[in-house]
Amino acid sequence: MISRRALELATAILTGSFGVAVVVSSLDNGIGWSSAGVDAGTFPFLTGLVIVVGSLYNLVRGVLPAATLASVPIAITPTELRRLAGLFVPAAIFVAAIPLLGMYLASALYVFAVLAIPRHQSVPRALAMAAATALALYVVFERMFQVTLPHGALAAALGF
Amino acid sequence: MDNLQELLHGFTIAVTVPHLVLMAIGVLLGILVGVLPGLGAPNGVSLLLPLTFGMQPVSAIILLSSMYWGALFGGSVTSILFNIPGEPSSVATTFDGYPMARDGRPTTALATAFGSAAFGALVGVILITFLASWVAQVALAFGPPEYFAVYFLAFASFVGMGGAAPIKTVVALAIGFAIAAIGIDTVSGSVRLTMGIDELVKGVNFVVAVMGLFGIGELLVAVEEEFHARAVSSKIDWGEVFRAVARLPRHGVALLRSAAIGCWMGITPGGPTAASFMSYGIARRFSRRGRYFGTGEVEGIISPETADHAAGTSALLPMLSLGIPGSATAAVMMGGLMIWGLNPGPMLFVDQKDFVWGLIASMYVGNIVAVALVLLTVPVFAALMRIPFVVIAPLIVIICVVGAYSVSNSYLDVVMMLGFGIVGYLFKKLFYPLAPLVLAIVIGDKAEDAFRQSMLMSKGSLGIFFANGLVTSLVIAGIALLLLPLALQLTRPWRKPAPPTAETTSQEKVII
Repeated sequence: MISRRALELATAILTGSFGVAVVVSSLDNGIGWSSAGVDAGTFPFLTGLVIVVGSLYNLVRGVLPAATLASVPIAITPTELRRLAGLFVPAAIFVAAIPLLGMYLASALYVFAVLAIPRHQSVPRALAMAAATALALYVVFERMFQVTLPHGALAAALGF
Repeated sequence: MDNLQELLHGFTIAVTVPHLVLMAIGVLLGILVGVLPGLGAPNGVSLLLPLTFGMQPVSAIILLSSMYWGALFGGSVTSILFNIPGEPSSVATTFDGYPMARDGRPTTALATAFGSAAFGALVGVILITFLASWVAQVALAFGPPEYFAVYFLAFASFVGMGGAAPIKTVVALAIGFAIAAIGIDTVSGSVRLTMGIDELVKGVNFVVAVMGLFGIGELLVAVEEEFHARAVSSKIDWGEVFRAVARLPRHGVALLRSAAIGCWMGITPGGPTAASFMSYGIARRFSRRGRYFGTGEVEGIISPETADHAAGTSALLPMLSLGIPGSATAAVMMGGLMIWGLNPGPMLFVDQKDFVWGLIASMYVGNIVAVALVLLTVPVFAALMRIPFVVIAPLIVIICVVGAYSVSNSYLDVVMMLGFGIVGYLFKKLFYPLAPLVLAIVIGDKAEDAFRQSMLMSKGSLGIFFANGLVTSLVIAGIALLLLPLALQLTRPWRKPAPPTAETTSQEKVII
């Protein structure tokens, strides 16, 4: 179970650290006014500052028990978390597998795994859908519009 | 009257059987590239370009511009059905289009979008027909300060809206600006905010951010609630297509206002994206049902769609009359013009009357062909909503992954897209508004460039934003739009000392 407060805190810390990174990084470009007009780092520096200050405000608001927060104390229940993971984890594995397997094989395996393993579809139907997905991607992108999708290290090793 | 005669002559060129067939082919191909994420009108047009070398210039431009219309229409389909905007300009359509489709009314949403889009395009073409020479002068009067003022106006009309927690809005907006700044700075040429990752030099593409924020983010929000895990049961209903289009005149004010905003933003090179956002923001503020926006309001679809297409159409005008391409697609088409042996620019209207007026006439006919074809496809697209969620979810993930990759053939983009998905989910869950974030990503760097160029011109004096009537009125309108809701919000606590919590939460839900 994840409380609304924890989620607010995590998000504020996430945005705040992005802000800090922006501020630090933009200092390299120079801030202020030079012979070439407004320096390149000025705007990112200012937006970075705004992000940091705003995130600090949201952080404090998240910690203090405000009226609006009290009405929804729980943000994600364990069941919801399981459903989220059920969608996101396979998707992340799919993305991670692309450099090795290539887009076509990875997406076919992804479709097959997501449909067949939780038994949403029968194995033959899941197989058919997986094959159709890969084929459709190939025909539309590689053939019709000549956009090359990654073939993967495996295909390269096999000599494709 | 001269123009009218020329136009009639143009119709005799455009309305011939071979040209009508070319239009149908162009529109269908355009819908295809528009629906497929990652591919867009620029891809389609550049792939077709080699095929046109053997054609008459007029036939060639009819084929290409029909493809452009088709892509504009097709881009709205995925925005409405899956919350994945294929083009920057259809982001604002997702705000009300997607909730409406999810409510079981995908046919209504699609038909409304296409109907109002066709209206916007028509107004744009009429404008081109009658004001070609005047409009060219307005576009020429635009320098960096005016550009900045237009972008400022777009931001002001959208961002000042009440609703979301103000500081969360500010943070979202600032993050958008920072993301827009990543990569090569066009004014100084220096590399910014890459944080040591060389591949980020090319910047963060808008499509990558939007696919994650909207596509994956929405998927995560949807899967969390069991309710959405069911497929939307929508009947294929041809009658509803026509009923939805027939209901459009009831929203005449919204249609006209959005078309006016669209034309204005199209001529002044604010572009279709800024136009659709601005139109949505203004509609939300002035519509009687403004507080229901974001939950599937008809006017929330009409306003961005009409403005988008009005701007997209009138943006072709600077290309023809001045030789300044207003978009990537227009730039590719202009390349085509030169290959066919024509010189875009003011002389085109004098030297190549057949070509120019044939094209303008084909815009009328092409739009009618496009809207007819696209309305016919509505039931087919609406039927996609009946596919069970467990099947559609992995397909949406694949679409987002392939779309993010094909933008610039970069694996890093795919990883970033997934990261944006988590951010989109968190923001949605905690009521950070996504719209200002996306608007800042899309036009943030252009606004910054315009501001810095203005500062160079004026040697650091802000007086340049009040130097002439045009820029002064733009800036003052922007400031007024920005301050109006702030003033209203400030006076609210005195009128209503303790707003009940229930209202705050229902308000929060409406926030995009």
